[in-house]
Amino acid sequence: MRRGPLTRVLGEHPVGTAFVTPYVVFIAAVFAYPLGFAVYMSFHDYFFAAPGAIVDRPFVGFDNYATVLSDPAVRRAFGNVLIFLVINVPLTVILSLGLSTALNSAIRWRTFFRVSYYVPYVTASVAVVGVWLFLFNSNGLVNSVLGPLAPDPSWLVNSHLAMPTVAIYVTWKQLGFFILLYLAALQNVSADLYEAASMDGAGRWKSFLNVTVPGVRPATTLVVLLATVTGANLFTEPYLLTGGGGPDGASASPVLIMYQRGIEQGNPDVGSAIGVLLVIGVLILALLERRFVGSED
Amino acid sequence: MRLRFVGLLVGAFVFLFPFYYMLVGSLQAEPDPSVAGAFPAGNLTLHNYSEIDKAISLGRSLINSGIFTGGVILGTLVFGVLAGYALARLQFRGRGLVFHLMLLIQVVPFQLLTIPLYVMIVRSYGLADSYLGMILPFAINSTAVFVFRQYFLQLPAELFDAARIDGASELSILWRIAVPLVRPALLTGVLLTFIGPWNEFLWPFLITKQQDLQPLAVSLTNYITTVASRAANPFGAVLAGACVLAAPAVALFLVFQRRFISSNLSSGVKG
Amino acid sequence: MKLQAGLLAVVLAGSLAACGGSGGAGDADAAAKARGPITIWYSNNAEEVAWGKQMVASWNAAHADQKVTAQEIPTGKSSEEVIGAAITAGNAPCLIFNTSPASVSQFQKQGGLVPLDSFSDGKSYIEDRSGDIAKQYKSADGKYYQLPWKSNPVMIFYNKKAFAKAGIDTAKPPLTTYDEFLATSRKLVAAKAAKVAIYPAPSNEFYQSWFDFYPLYAAETGGKQLVADGKSTFASDEGKKVATFWRTMYADKLASPEKYTGDAFVDGTAAMAVVGPWAIATYKGKVDWGVVPVPTSSGKPAGEIHTFSDAKNVAMYSSCQNRGTAWDVLKFATSQEQDGMFLQASGQMPLRKDVASVYSDYFTKNPDYKVFADQAARTVEVPNVPNSITIWQTFRDAYSKSVIFGQQDPGAALDGAAQKVDQLVKQS
Repeated sequence: MRRGPLTRVLGEHPVGTAFVTPYVVFIAAVFAYPLGFAVYMSFHDYFFAAPGAIVDRPFVGFDNYATVLSDPAVRRAFGNVLIFLVINVPLTVILSLGLSTALNSAIRWRTFFRVSYYVPYVTASVAVVGVWLFLFNSNGLVNSVLGPLAPDPSWLVNSHLAMPTVAIYVTWKQLGFFILLYLAALQNVSADLYEAASMDGAGRWKSFLNVTVPGVRPATTLVVLLATVTGANLFTEPYLLTGGGGPDGASASPVLIMYQRGIEQGNPDVGSAIGVLLVIGVLILALLERRFVGSED
Repeated sequence: MRLRFVGLLVGAFVFLFPFYYMLVGSLQAEPDPSVAGAFPAGNLTLHNYSEIDKAISLGRSLINSGIFTGGVILGTLVFGVLAGYALARLQFRGRGLVFHLMLLIQVVPFQLLTIPLYVMIVRSYGLADSYLGMILPFAINSTAVFVFRQYFLQLPAELFDAARIDGASELSILWRIAVPLVRPALLTGVLLTFIGPWNEFLWPFLITKQQDLQPLAVSLTNYITTVASRAANPFGAVLAGACVLAAPAVALFLVFQRRFISSNLSSGVKG
Repeated sequence: MKLQAGLLAVVLAGSLAACGGSGGAGDADAAAKARGPITIWYSNNAEEVAWGKQMVASWNAAHADQKVTAQEIPTGKSSEEVIGAAITAGNAPCLIFNTSPASVSQFQKQGGLVPLDSFSDGKSYIEDRSGDIAKQYKSADGKYYQLPWKSNPVMIFYNKKAFAKAGIDTAKPPLTTYDEFLATSRKLVAAKAAKVAIYPAPSNEFYQSWFDFYPLYAAETGGKQLVADGKSTFASDEGKKVATFWRTMYADKLASPEKYTGDAFVDGTAAMAVVGPWAIATYKGKVDWGVVPVPTSSGKPAGEIHTFSDAKNVAMYSSCQNRGTAWDVLKFATSQEQDGMFLQASGQMPLRKDVASVYSDYFTKNPDYKVFADQAARTVEVPNVPNSITIWQTFRDAYSKSVIFGQQDPGAALDGAAQKVDQLVKQS
């Protein structure tokens, strides 16, 4: 392979730059300005104003970040997201991998099953939430079935159970998408490997552990990362299920607080500070996940 | 075998029940919030569907949703696949930077960017009240790029080395070899890119107030917040709209999921 | 580009005028006199749309060179975001018939509103039309940035069938004092006439307090706002009485802290509702309802009871080019004739003095609405102060934690909120 000076500068496959150019142009044209602006706002005493209005917007350093970090409601919201992720991410990985493996095999009614697991993912939360509220009401179906074991106060108005209930709802709703990701990955796990494993005497469980799981590792990285990102950016679900924060903010999410402070209350500087902190937090989490779950590069 | 089937059936029931309840609710003439209402005998009507069609021209809204979503899918399939492939299998300057940019974009919540984005698109680009203005922020779905990259990574390196030695250009490698092998991933990408814009309310609503440009998700949400209470069975009308919104997505999946069959990889790597 | 430059110039001129620049007087006059086509927004509530369409059609028929284009936007939290975004982008319409009084201070701070005082008859028109009540809508600088348009005085609706089932008098139900109200509620729930006695929304949005705490607070204090003279007022004895009353309702399970999808009053889940006359159209044919004023601790006579106005107003936005037309349209839309047509169409009370006598024909034909017309003379608005929405959110957070979820003593919660609110009012 020739490694001339051009190759050292542009890489082995300079055409790659051409391939990513439209995407990079898109990012620059659409996201660069708003993102930069959001960071800018977080360091100033800023509010949106009509074009031509003359307003004072002093630089305030880290004031907004200090306000945000010392606010118990914000800290609680970040804590809620951690609770959410701890429940949602492992549950999602296990359930979606297990279900997709089952749905990949030749069973009767396979299409019906695949569609039924996918359906919640495509239905708008706005419509489905009504059903869940009805189910998890204090005299709803779930409590009637549980009888004396039913928690009091009931699920969504209980400050300890509110966020876990939201986590279960979101897991259920998003599962179809992750099953899809795993289904696609499973197509590329060669049948020869399974044959080899069964010839070695491995049962279904063993071949699952030793062939399937390693074989879909890139997909697992994807699933973990995407579940984390979606979970951290949770907004609609806590709002719809608990009307904007639940008992004493027990199910408030950082994006919800960001929306309240930034847009409803007209303080986009504080909102941006929350947003920037959230992004940093998720990036750290993502880095940790790549370290532990691993990836192919 | 039997146990797995039963397990799946129970799971399917849990997953489908709320949707089934939605469907039943949309067909009810009188709202029946009791448990018995889930299994109606009689009390069924298509009235809710005609009610919501009267309020928000379902046909026009569906077309708008189609244009909006179609534009996004097109942008993602064409440019996103290119970018995903390059990030996975090509070594070029700036590769790490683009990968991290892609991660960053996914991590940032849309609400953080909404107003500056709106001001930029409306004032600097002058795209208010247009389909392009709706499509632009969603034009290339970064998650789809990530997905494409991961699946291109799963392909064995020998495949590409062999083709390169044969002197094929990268574009033809991508088109003739890689893409056919990751068809399930492409379909996944399409399905995942589909859902976002299809169910999106806030952005199209900001961009245009003209009702004949608004997609179904917008018309439906507007209907829910204000008009629904006037209908004879408001909950039913809302559910009818929601079912109409969900139906094309489910149909799309039904059509595509058949393509999720194993391709025989080993045939691609021959001596 | 030319259009953008032109628009920018007009807006600059307009906002310079608003700031009272010395050379600005001439510009303000010019902007105030400009005439031509304009855009307006109104809510997508079916009755208001019907009225809006005919109003626009009448105006357009008479003024072909100053056409009005109308668009609908829904009321609710997203409308505030849409208006805020439109102000920032400079493409807000000339008039929005859906402007919430609570947002006015914020839009004004953003430079998004035109002070109606800048029109020669602005102030006089508003005060002549609305009388004393107009004072509540002035901004901190003494100018009117909104025109008080319509109100929905909040009262207690009750379900006659449910009351009959519980053996309560449906013509004059005992709901005047807190004790009576609690006793009646207990009877209703015990007789299983409804699951709960009343079901105000327990969710945490900043505006929900307008439909549980605020109406009763207005009644109890004889018309005080949440914030007055730069200080919070609600951590008083009256405020604590109101909070304790609601706390008892939640603690005794006479109201529910769980979110409800749909309308609890229509579904029969609740026997009463705290709401204004716009809901009558929703209840028609579904509930046989009666209405009484909100309760007070000592049982004041109905003629002395105040309540929350739930008003929606009209504001003129600074991106408007043809302000002369906009002001004329505004006057037209709030003329006696148009106000009457609005009342006809929607049953909501125009914020006009002496509504009951001016439209006596209507009230003779629709006696159901008369009680609201009487109540409309005694309404309390949200205070027009800086950081208005943050203040309401702070209040709601404290109220929700203590009254709805019982995690703190209501008195202590109100005291804590009062301290925070006092600070918020001082900023600007």
